[in-house]
Amino acid sequence: MTTTTINGRPLVLPDDPDALLIDVIRDGGLTGTKLVCGSGVCGACTVLLDGAPVVSCLLPAQAAAGKSLTTIESVGAAGLHPVQKAFMAHDALQCGFCTPGFVVEATAFHDSWRATKGAATPSREEIAAALSGHLCRCGAYEGIYRAVAEACSGRFDGIEPIAPRLEARDKVTGLARYTVDIHHDGQLEGVILRAHVAHARITGLDLAPARAITGVAAVVPLLDDDNMVRFVGAPIAAVAAKDRRTALKAIAAIRFKPEPLPAVIGLDAARRDDAPIVFEKKDRKRAGNVSEGAGGAPVSWKGNVRGPSAPFSQKAKQARSWLDEARAQRNPLLVEETFRVSTQQHASLEPHAAVARFDGDQLIVHISTQAIHENMEKIAKRYGLPHDKVRVIADHVGGGFGSKGSVGLETIAAIELARAAKAPVRVAFDREEELSVAGYRPAAELKLSLLPSAEGRLKALSLTAHADTGAAVNSLIAGLARLIYPAEAKELVDFDVLSNLPPGAPFRGPGGPPMSFALEQAVDEAALRMKIDPIQLRKLWDPDPNRQRLYDWASGLDVWKNRKPAASQTGRYRRGIGVATGYWLYLWQTNSSVELAVEGGRIVASCAVQDIGTGTRSVIANTVAKAFDLEPQDVDVRIGRSNLPRGPGSGGSRVTASVVPPTLLAIDKLKAEITRTASRTPAPGSNAPWREMIAASPDITVSARRQEDGKPRPGVRPALHEAGIMGRVFGWVLRLMNHMVVGAGVPSSVQVMEVEVDTWLGHVRVLNAYTGLAIGKLAAPMLARSQAAGAVIQGIGYALYEARETDPLSGHILSGSMEDYRIPGIADMPKLDVHFDEAGFEHVPGGSVGIGEVATVPTSPAIANAIRDAIGVRLTEIPFRPDRLVAALKGRDAA
Amino acid sequence: MSVAVMTASLTPEFRAGGTDFSERRRSGVSQGMLIDISATGDKMITWDADGAARIGALTTIATIATDARIAAAYPGIAASAQGLATPQVRHVATLGGNLAQRSRCWYFRRADIDCLKKGGNTCPSRSGNHLYGVAFDLGDCVAPHPSTMAAALLAYDATITTDRRSGLTVAGLLGDGSVAHADHTLAAGEMIESIALPAPLEGERASYKRAISRTYAEWPLVELCARVVIADGKFQLVRLAAGGVAPVPLRLSAVEAQLSGKIANAASIAEAAKAASSGAKPLPMTAYKLDLLQGLVRDMLERLSG
Repeated sequence: MTTTTINGRPLVLPDDPDALLIDVIRDGGLTGTKLVCGSGVCGACTVLLDGAPVVSCLLPAQAAAGKSLTTIESVGAAGLHPVQKAFMAHDALQCGFCTPGFVVEATAFHDSWRATKGAATPSREEIAAALSGHLCRCGAYEGIYRAVAEACSGRFDGIEPIAPRLEARDKVTGLARYTVDIHHDGQLEGVILRAHVAHARITGLDLAPARAITGVAAVVPLLDDDNMVRFVGAPIAAVAAKDRRTALKAIAAIRFKPEPLPAVIGLDAARRDDAPIVFEKKDRKRAGNVSEGAGGAPVSWKGNVRGPSAPFSQKAKQARSWLDEARAQRNPLLVEETFRVSTQQHASLEPHAAVARFDGDQLIVHISTQAIHENMEKIAKRYGLPHDKVRVIADHVGGGFGSKGSVGLETIAAIELARAAKAPVRVAFDREEELSVAGYRPAAELKLSLLPSAEGRLKALSLTAHADTGAAVNSLIAGLARLIYPAEAKELVDFDVLSNLPPGAPFRGPGGPPMSFALEQAVDEAALRMKIDPIQLRKLWDPDPNRQRLYDWASGLDVWKNRKPAASQTGRYRRGIGVATGYWLYLWQTNSSVELAVEGGRIVASCAVQDIGTGTRSVIANTVAKAFDLEPQDVDVRIGRSNLPRGPGSGGSRVTASVVPPTLLAIDKLKAEITRTASRTPAPGSNAPWREMIAASPDITVSARRQEDGKPRPGVRPALHEAGIMGRVFGWVLRLMNHMVVGAGVPSSVQVMEVEVDTWLGHVRVLNAYTGLAIGKLAAPMLARSQAAGAVIQGIGYALYEARETDPLSGHILSGSMEDYRIPGIADMPKLDVHFDEAGFEHVPGGSVGIGEVATVPTSPAIANAIRDAIGVRLTEIPFRPDRLVAALKGRDAA
Repeated sequence: MSVAVMTASLTPEFRAGGTDFSERRRSGVSQGMLIDISATGDKMITWDADGAARIGALTTIATIATDARIAAAYPGIAASAQGLATPQVRHVATLGGNLAQRSRCWYFRRADIDCLKKGGNTCPSRSGNHLYGVAFDLGDCVAPHPSTMAAALLAYDATITTDRRSGLTVAGLLGDGSVAHADHTLAAGEMIESIALPAPLEGERASYKRAISRTYAEWPLVELCARVVIADGKFQLVRLAAGGVAPVPLRLSAVEAQLSGKIANAASIAEAAKAASSGAKPLPMTAYKLDLLQGLVRDMLERLSG
């Protein structure tokens, strides 16, 4: 028998030589240590082994024998560590799932730094090297740099920080519990059996051999009723067993016969005339959906190509004819290019996960979801249960980015297994599932033609997008080009190209970054040809009042004013500056409600909304605290429970604009009620009259539902109005079908990027990022900055590193590990300058709209334009990996 | 379970630090018996009177990366150790384990795909996606050798002692790249015990660098360990060992030969760097690696002669 010491207590280690340390730690109830990549690359599972950081996901449990282990739970247990305080104060976290690993590593770095260097401040480079074994998908790196530097310099030795994020303390101490951390008595572990072939009909499914295995409590089929699998990883069945190992053994025992069918993989192969068909006509309803909200109008479908879908075209025939004419005349201003964007995985650090249990006739499901209330409704509908018999819970969610909006397979499997096993069941995707079958932003081919008029206005635009949607439909990329840069004529056509790959899903600004990647490079190219400053050309072509102000800001940046002539450098390292613009829709959800109460002398705000790292708790707390002259920490915010008043889903950047206005209404009601029921008023001249009155108030509850916006200023219109009558129809459908309103005013972003290209090693580094954002007033300023920073680094990942790789023959996803699917690390974070322009949304109660999506839209084209500026070559395909850079510099096609 | 995995599982595997090994256990690529050698293996660095080091196979990468005497005598070894993996992995990963680790090929790493290294008949990467594959196509398997330390040891003419053989060169340990099924020539049950480095040369300089897309923590597209001795402004010795480009680490002999005795300046380096592709046979998707290799040769030799 071998033992270790964990957080000062002895622990017997399992004899099994294959047991890994992380399982011993987590099974012992210390769930602050997170399992993410399982391959030692992300650092979320970092613990201290005799004081040194190690990854517990790879470390054999036996390696801890006779040694001392420290987990996040004991870091700062006797008073917060300076690093923890600094993380809280600098908002060095968002969803918080990577935070325990970062904190453990940073405390070790801090302690050894202080021991040898006193209170010197470490450089960014030193911090980046020390934390190079950690990854954060939300992109909290900017705050982490500041936090570690200031903790090392001694700034947080004494003070108790005020955290701008309400739940920050729980996240830096590892106490925040996510869905994967839920453990009920008698809980079973569920695992999904998935197809290893891309296209087959399954016959002879025999679950009995799995049921016969000791420790297996339930086996359920998951095949669709056509018994087809259409991609590698398609679900076939699921098993619940006493532990994961038994469940894996059981799924391996399930027998079935796959009758292989011809498969087709990817955008190019699926468009060929002789390509095997993925969805026969009768099966088209089975395809997934890559967009938020309901599908649009019926669209034609030929072979694997669904489309054309062109509701936002404007005088398409005219556009075509002008472009043909310009082509025939060899008009030098005609910009024509084919762009390609890669498949981007959400790569949320907490995987898709659900824990289901039946408590009598009550179904309680913890889900790592972006939409607790909607999930509750859909689960109730699917299983024929009344709403009050289904409760969805999500206290903390480790990232989503669009992939966790619908009721996912993890939830269905957990519920069905729990019902069959009559016991609680957890289903959590492993990293390979997360990076293959959990959704993605589809790759696309974008053919673009842009024609300025002789007078220098935008005359005609044509954009045709073919999206690589796998087993899904409903991509909207080209159509989004209607809502910016008005032209005399636009032809905007979208196609879905289906193939035997997993279905795509909504991802942060669905369609926005790909559209912007093509359009913003074309505008940049037009400016070069017209010999006009690219920002000035945008000012000329883009009348949106929010962006007009952002263009003025960008024009005034020193980095822009002092830039060198384009492509004027010849050395190994070349620097370039690029600009790009992005927009997103201002959305809010009509049926959002917020309840405010005084309970036992404290204010409680309640809403069935969730916080996926975006800061919803803090937005509500700040709004309430400000009105009552309190600190945000004085407000109890209850969210993450579907039985609270209905709140919005965390998608479409709609949460802030959906919850702040009803909170303001409820505040007015509560103030009136407190005043009306007060037995005595505060003494005249009291410093904190509301605090005194709340403390003395009887328990009161009020609630309010999202009100309509006020009248916008002249010229401030909903983005959809750019699309004429079709835009209005689209708006009505959204309101009727999805309870979503596209409000007046357009959330906007203008970014300026400075890059350095190493022409020898094909390496691109973003040195400085300047992001200007018009999203109204900031409901939580530091958190808004964190979102802006995170959006930029995610955009950098999209532009430089991230690509899903597939086997072109078998359809296997090859980049199913975080070694091979490469998200940015802390050293890849540029220096960042964030400019918030808080005007433009005065008609919105509270004046705030969402930031999450708009902030990431223009990053990839701004980098592309900066690279063009540096090296004189326009790269048309992302990610701009070294292979593509060196090929472009040599004028050769990349792989 | 594939036939390949079942075949492979008949031979017990050694576990040292358990980094690469644990990952393959989790994915199901490695199954069957394991023998843990972490507690019993040699973790010592010892020095001869003439200044040559002998490193026990179980010495951690972090120890090699931070040992002051190693850094002074063998800066290319220290820099290679500093440049690989992440701080947490370096803390437990060992030199022997780094040499004996298995391929990073994404086909090899999936338990549900057969490949030559798992007893299959063909290389699915060759006919499929080999973006990270070799540019010197020396055998049937197109995966580059994953060991950064092997390239560094090659640059230093290190020799390896196992429990059965001694005086093995890196080529002796890893083969010539023509054998597809294995990542090394170790027989079943044969264990690396120690690595011996010749005494450093008078006035030599050395370094290591990898070409990657991010800043840190990424398997190299191409990597290079370089040693030089410069006297009177001329290259007296140039040693270049490249990883990421071939099934085994490669000496860039053509570049070395061309530079011998030449003036150590940017022009001669740039000219000689072109010979880095000598003998290359890139795959359809890997021609870029030759550009990166040439760039690395220039980068490092300019730096070392500066």
